Amino acid sequence: MKKHFKRAAAALIAGILAAGLLAGCGGGGGAASSSSDGGSGGGTAITIFNSKMEIQSQLEEKAAEYSDEKGVDVEVYYSSDTVAAHLATRYSSNEPYTISMVDAKDVYALAEEHALDLSDQEWVGNTTQAISIGDKVYGFPVCVEARGIIYNADAIKNATGEDFDPESIKTTDDFKAIIDKCKAGGMESPVGVMKEDWSLAAHFFAEIYEQQADPDAFIAGIKDGSIKLADDKKFNEMMDTFDVLRDNNYAKDAAISAEREVTEQKLAEGEIAFMFGGNWDWSVINAYDYSENMGMMPVPNNSGDGSDSKLVGGGSKYFFIDSSENTSAEQQQAAKDFLNWLANDPEGQEFIVNECALVPAFTNNTLEVSDPLGKSVKKYADAGALIDNYNYLPDDHYSIVGASMQKYLAGEIDRAGLADEVTTYWATAEVGAH
Amino acid sequence: MKRNTMSYKVQQFLMFAGVAAVLFCAVVVVPFVYGIYLTLTSWDGIAKTKPFVGLANYAEAFKDVAYWQALGRTAIYSIFAVVLINVVAFALAYLVTSGIKGQNFFRAGFFVPNLIGGIVLGYVWKFVFNRAFVAIASKIANQQVPSLLSTTSGAMFCLVLVSVWQFAGYMMLIYVAGFMSVSDALKEAAMIDGCTPSQAMWNVTIPLMRASFVQCIFLSITRCFVIYDVNLSLTKGEPFNTSVMAAMHVYNTAFTYKKYGLGQAEALILFVVCAVVGITQVYIGKKGEVAA
Repeated sequence: MKKHFKRAAAALIAGILAAGLLAGCGGGGGAASSSSDGGSGGGTAITIFNSKMEIQSQLEEKAAEYSDEKGVDVEVYYSSDTVAAHLATRYSSNEPYTISMVDAKDVYALAEEHALDLSDQEWVGNTTQAISIGDKVYGFPVCVEARGIIYNADAIKNATGEDFDPESIKTTDDFKAIIDKCKAGGMESPVGVMKEDWSLAAHFFAEIYEQQADPDAFIAGIKDGSIKLADDKKFNEMMDTFDVLRDNNYAKDAAISAEREVTEQKLAEGEIAFMFGGNWDWSVINAYDYSENMGMMPVPNNSGDGSDSKLVGGGSKYFFIDSSENTSAEQQQAAKDFLNWLANDPEGQEFIVNECALVPAFTNNTLEVSDPLGKSVKKYADAGALIDNYNYLPDDHYSIVGASMQKYLAGEIDRAGLADEVTTYWATAEVGAH
Repeated sequence: MKRNTMSYKVQQFLMFAGVAAVLFCAVVVVPFVYGIYLTLTSWDGIAKTKPFVGLANYAEAFKDVAYWQALGRTAIYSIFAVVLINVVAFALAYLVTSGIKGQNFFRAGFFVPNLIGGIVLGYVWKFVFNRAFVAIASKIANQQVPSLLSTTSGAMFCLVLVSVWQFAGYMMLIYVAGFMSVSDALKEAAMIDGCTPSQAMWNVTIPLMRASFVQCIFLSITRCFVIYDVNLSLTKGEPFNTSVMAAMHVYNTAFTYKKYGLGQAEALILFVVCAVVGITQVYIGKKGEVAA
């Protein structure tokens, strides 16, 4: 009798412990979510994955409003993981998001298997930035972003005593001249250089491919040896400009330990005047006591091929709608409605431009962009002066070429060494399918 | 009830270890076996199909120069870190068992770094290396001094330093237990026989603590070989990808570069290396163990 009791007690305890364990497993969610269980009364529920951290709170708020108004329950998720890695976990657990925000290269990698064809949508005609593969449109462009030199006109005026006209800076020599002027005016080192590998390789070095007449052929040429990178005109012109940036870097003696926040703060407050970057940098700059007159200009270079009057960029971050059987037809329709609302509804347009401070990718969204860098980008975009992003670089390009660029920045290798390392990288790397 | 029948044994096993065994299978055995299967595919981590490629990933892993560099770097880092962790931990353990004032306070204090998560710890130290040390050194040298983290050997040094700081306290506890397990009578007998204190330490105490050494060295080797969190938050592989440890390379290959099969194969190689080193060390260590 006693033995039976003991046995039952042991089984009970074991059971309780096991239940505790299982409950523990079940409770842990993956990404942070913000439920917005507005008065949807059993309507359709869709999920949105956001990979643009700076608009997370705006998106959450808007989703709640949208849920209340349209009776569609919208939940927004964010993850700081690599986009592809995060989506991979969702797909392997058969819980894809209805709408996912990804980078352009992810659309090319994922779309054919996972994305819904959006060719018949109304917004397709109003943008040049949507991503199509074959004759199908898969990617909805969230915004336009572009790269160039960010300048602080107030700081330049303080140093030189003259109004700064970005249009006057075309060549590397012009650029050098204005920097020398700033120096003469008391600004010790007018440039900041971000040491982050994505900035150096994916943003700056990539321009060497992007400014070629045919980037695909150029990379193929490096691969088969018919183009010698070290002798390439564009490579040398862009690196000449990079040398000017590097030599006037405020953190020249410790370039590799410069911190992005510190650099952007100096730029915002006018301690330095130039930095290579993009309009996304505004989300960092506006955290500081920034100067009124800032903007973006093309990377000056001595090529004379017109690239000195164009920013490089285009659609950035894309929404795609899941096409798997995990997403019902109603959900897909609700997702399409949401994207249409973003592109065409005045409220959606207002959300993109004013609340998220993004540059719209649609021509029918004519709202005035609020931040100075966005204004510059919009100006160049409207004038058709954007050089397209090259979205097919391999996933490890930014890291490996980034390391080489960091070595160059720190003076550990010279230009020939850099060309060598990049050529070696391309010997085994393959561009993405497109 | 008969106790030697098969069904009785099975029943007993299921009752006491059944749940644990199922969970262990679900979260360790199955993923491990499935992982081995994935090394034979060229899966990118997200596609619906997992094309079977045989041993191609292993061939590629053996040709992946960056991986072997990372592994070599991890080995060098581990040698320095393991030796220092154990030397420091032993010294601390000796200190806090020698009867100094407030030794319980010191025991707790040295153990605290181990309670801070690796990520947080990495960021804290990054701040110390990049800001605090730089500010002090620049004041002294009267010019801008680059951060230790921006040089190749400096970054490795920082990683070793932070690991020692983190793990030494934990290993210290094991050594403390070791010290306490050696009976005072033996030490006293050795002294009466004419040993100096250092001879007694070397010839009596340390041999009797062999189990502690085996355990501590095993724990520190396995932890150092798979270091990731401190690596990520402290150096992130910088400068120039020269502080990328094996685990970080595996993660990057699998998730960032989307070569899941290759990353998994490299992870398996790392596991084998780690297991071989660990088991060899335990085998050698155990062989000479003595009991009082």
